[in-house]
Amino acid sequence: MGEEQIIFYFFAASVLISALCVVVMKNLVRSIFLFFVSLFSLAALYLFALADFIALAQVVIYAGGVLVLMLFAFMLSNRELLNSLKPAGSGFKVNHFAGILISLLFLFILVTVIVKTDLNQLDWMQESVPIHVNDNSTHQIGIHTMTAYLLPFEILSVFLMMVLIGAAHLARKGGRA
Amino acid sequence: MSFYLTYVLVATALFAFTALFTLFALYSERKISAFIQDRVGPMEVGKYGTLQAFADIIKMLQKEFIIPTAADKVLFILAPIVIFVSVYLGFAALPWAPGLIPSSLNLGLFYIFAILSIETLGILMAGWGSNNKYALLGSMRSVAQMISYEIPAGIALISVVMISQSLNLQEISIKQGILTTEPVYFLGIWEVKTIGGFLAWNIFQAPHLILAYIIYFIASLAECNRAPFDIPEAESELVGGFHVEYSGLRFAFIFLAEYSMMFLVGMIGVVLFLGGWNSPLPNFGTAKLALWTSGIGWGIFWILIKTLAVVAVQIWIRWTLPRLRVDQLMSFCWKVLTPLAFLCMLISGVWRLGMMQ
Repeated sequence: MGEEQIIFYFFAASVLISALCVVVMKNLVRSIFLFFVSLFSLAALYLFALADFIALAQVVIYAGGVLVLMLFAFMLSNRELLNSLKPAGSGFKVNHFAGILISLLFLFILVTVIVKTDLNQLDWMQESVPIHVNDNSTHQIGIHTMTAYLLPFEILSVFLMMVLIGAAHLARKGGRA
Repeated sequence: MSFYLTYVLVATALFAFTALFTLFALYSERKISAFIQDRVGPMEVGKYGTLQAFADIIKMLQKEFIIPTAADKVLFILAPIVIFVSVYLGFAALPWAPGLIPSSLNLGLFYIFAILSIETLGILMAGWGSNNKYALLGSMRSVAQMISYEIPAGIALISVVMISQSLNLQEISIKQGILTTEPVYFLGIWEVKTIGGFLAWNIFQAPHLILAYIIYFIASLAECNRAPFDIPEAESELVGGFHVEYSGLRFAFIFLAEYSMMFLVGMIGVVLFLGGWNSPLPNFGTAKLALWTSGIGWGIFWILIKTLAVVAVQIWIRWTLPRLRVDQLMSFCWKVLTPLAFLCMLISGVWRLGMMQ
């Protein structure tokens, strides 16, 4: 096994294990900090796919933004309330059934897709141009967002504007909303 | 193997530099504050108190690690490491001289910005882990302030990137001196490519960047949690902010992170606005001052001098201005700095299209 593979498997294992811990952990705040480990290792995996811009965007948006907001929400709430939220007891209950069913179905879909696709024969895989370590990906991303993907880009910006206006409206003082 | 050895050596050198700089800054901060307040500052240890910083460090290394009984131990222990490492990693993409940069990334600036945003997480870890009301309040204030001030800082940086068309900090530096291959215009009119010196710096290539630099400088003070933006550690209200419960080496790491952050944000400002490692002396006729004062040694010298000057201004501001209130702080960020930063970005776009064709 080459050193790249060792590093890859290290980060892949760290994503999976920390993601599992996030779900299983009883201490909610610690599980959010573990979520950070998971997101950060995912950024490392993006780097392995030579998607450096996406990797850094992942760190800025998820680790620096979303996670901090989640932590804020936790810290503004009461410690006693957090303790009472902890799941009581273990073992199978009837209301777990729907969750188990959905996750099993989801697993089934994922496994079938992975088994059925032949990765090397996909059209867009064969047509694509290989990227190199020193390519300036930002340049390419800029050109493509302004030409081939202009419509989705504009729709996204309008959508974000709507979200901003909505958030400002909700946060206003006065209660006549 | 020598490949990896270089990496380890570079990383160690950078760590040694941050530690040395912190010692130096500690002493100079005490002396400058003493001068401003008409005192003498440290005088007892060594000649003019020069060994005071070493004495402080020895005291800190001897101290006991105290973990409060009710603290979340894992988070409490990890927090100083996360805070320091996130700042330390930022040094990886900063250029020191022509051809001398630890890692010449295409996305250098974006990388530093991303890595620094992890510091907020470390501060929240410290605040929550301490299980102390003052620490938690301090960390919340600190994070709210850092997130808000990241926006004007980021937009001011974008307005520079729009002028120099690169995120690679080494390329941005090259474009502000005599080593560039592209034409450089002073204020957009006078071709100064062969003259160089301070005339080719970004703030003089496009004058609205002076405003962008002021915005960035103010926002960077807030991101370091330094006065006048030190409500996160306001001693009179919060005892000591998010690091009240820390002692000994762990406190030393938080302290190290704060001073390294001062140097880091100062250096980013110098690289982007004040010519980086380029000489401030222009070529005059036969006196090729810019040519004579360029090179690896001179590069390190200039960037150190410029950054230390910026750090000195940071210290000067800390000891002369009073602390802002929370509401003043937020309204200053959102109602003054952010619109001005957007204006700078707009002018940058127009300037790029109109003056730099």
